[in-house]
Amino acid sequence: MIPKPERCLTCGDVAVAARVREVDGLEAVIAVGDLTERVAIELVPDARPGDVLLCHAGIALERIEEHTA
Amino acid sequence: MKYVDEYRDPELARGLAAEIRSLVTPGEVVRVMEICGGHTHAIYRHGLEELLPPEVELVHGPGCPVCVIPMGRVDDAIAIAETEGVTLATFGDMLRVPGGRGSLLEANARGADVRMVYSPLDALELARQEPERHVCFFAIGFETTAPATAVTLLRARAARVPNFSVFCNHVLIEPPLRAILETPGLRVDAFVGPGHVSSVIGTDAYRFIPEEYGRPIVVSAFEPVDLLQSIAMLLRQRVDGRCEVENQYTRVVRREGNARALAAIAETMEAREDFEWRGLGPLPRSALRIRDELAAVDAERLFALPGARIEDPKACRCGEVLTGQLKPWECGVFGTACTPERPLGTCMVSSEGACAAFFSYGRLRLPREARVGA
Repeated sequence: MIPKPERCLTCGDVAVAARVREVDGLEAVIAVGDLTERVAIELVPDARPGDVLLCHAGIALERIEEHTA
Repeated sequence: MKYVDEYRDPELARGLAAEIRSLVTPGEVVRVMEICGGHTHAIYRHGLEELLPPEVELVHGPGCPVCVIPMGRVDDAIAIAETEGVTLATFGDMLRVPGGRGSLLEANARGADVRMVYSPLDALELARQEPERHVCFFAIGFETTAPATAVTLLRARAARVPNFSVFCNHVLIEPPLRAILETPGLRVDAFVGPGHVSSVIGTDAYRFIPEEYGRPIVVSAFEPVDLLQSIAMLLRQRVDGRCEVENQYTRVVRREGNARALAAIAETMEAREDFEWRGLGPLPRSALRIRDELAAVDAERLFALPGARIEDPKACRCGEVLTGQLKPWECGVFGTACTPERPLGTCMVSSEGACAAFFSYGRLRLPREARVGA
C-alpha cells in the first residue's frame, strides 16, 4: 500500500482516497500522487476507471461520492 | 491535494472554531470522547485543542487496535513465529508491541522469521512465493481492517493455498463503547464516532448510544475541518435539545454501511465468547474468530499457543488512558520510562496511541512543570 510512515497502518484513518486507473479482474490499479498500487475490489466490484475509492490494507472499502467530497 | 486540502483550509477552521465558541455555555464543560485513534492523532498533530474554548474538553477513547491487544496475544504470536518453518507476517506497528517475552521484533532478532506487510493479501502472496514455508498472518484491527482479512481468507480458500493461516485478533467497536458507557462515574457527554469503521458498519450501528445511554454521536472524517465540524454538530445537538446519531462523513459513510464487507466478514469470521482487552478486561462477544468452515487456515487450531493472561507492567496505566480516565501526561512513566523509542505500554507504541501522539505533537504545550522528555 501507499507508504505513510508516520501513521499506523492498522488504524482506520490510514485509508486513503485513490483514483482508479484501470480494472483488472478482481483488482484495480489505483493512483495516489505519483505512485500506483493494486487493490482488491471484491467489496466494490463495479469499480470503473476514474472512480475514487477508499482503500485500506490492500482492499477498496468503499466508493467516495465526488459531489460531496 | 484533492480530498485533503479542502479539509485543512485555515479560514474554514477558524470559522468553525468561532461557531464552536458560540455554541458553548461559559463555565459549562462538555466532555467529548473521540473513539478512534486516528482522530486522537489528528487532534494532536494539528493542535486542534488550541482552537477550542475551555468549555470543550477532548477525551481520548479506546479505538487504537494496536493499543488494546493484551500482552498474552503478543506472546501467542511470538510462539507461532518461533515454530520451525513458519513465517509470521503482520503490520509494522505490531512488531514493537511488548509482550511478556519481548516484542516480535526481538523475536526476529533471536532468529524467528517475522516480516512486515501492508496487507493480509501481501501475506497470502508471500505464502504463494515460498511454498516450502508456512505463512501466518497476525491479524489485528477493528471493522475497518477485518474486511481485508475476510477477502484474503476467501481468496486463500478459493485458490487452495495450503501453507497459509491467520491468527485472528480482530475486535469490534460496540462492546468497548458499551463498557465505557457503563463505567460508574462516566464523565463523557458526547462522542465523535470513527469514520472508516463506520464506512463498514454504517451509522445505524451507533443508535444504542443516544437511545440507551442518552449521549449524542457524530461520525467524523479525519481532517481538521472535519473534526471541528463534528464537534460543532455535537454542540448544536445540545443547544437544540437533540440527542441522536449524525453523520459528518457523508462523502463515504452510509447509514447501512457496506453490505458486501459485512457479508465477507460474516462468511469467514464469527464473534468469540469473550476477548481480553487491554484496559477493559474481558468483554463478551467483542472480537472475531475464524469460522469452523475455515478451520484449516485458523492459526489458533493449527498451533499450540500459550494463551497466557499477562498483567501489564504495574507502572503502565494504558488501561486508564484507553478509557479516557487519565490523560497521557498524567501517567507516571510518560516520557521517562515509556517513550516511543522504548515503549512500556501499547499507547506509546502505535503512532495512533494517545501517548505517542501526545509525545510527538502535544507535550511542548504543557505547562513547564508538567513537561517531560522535551
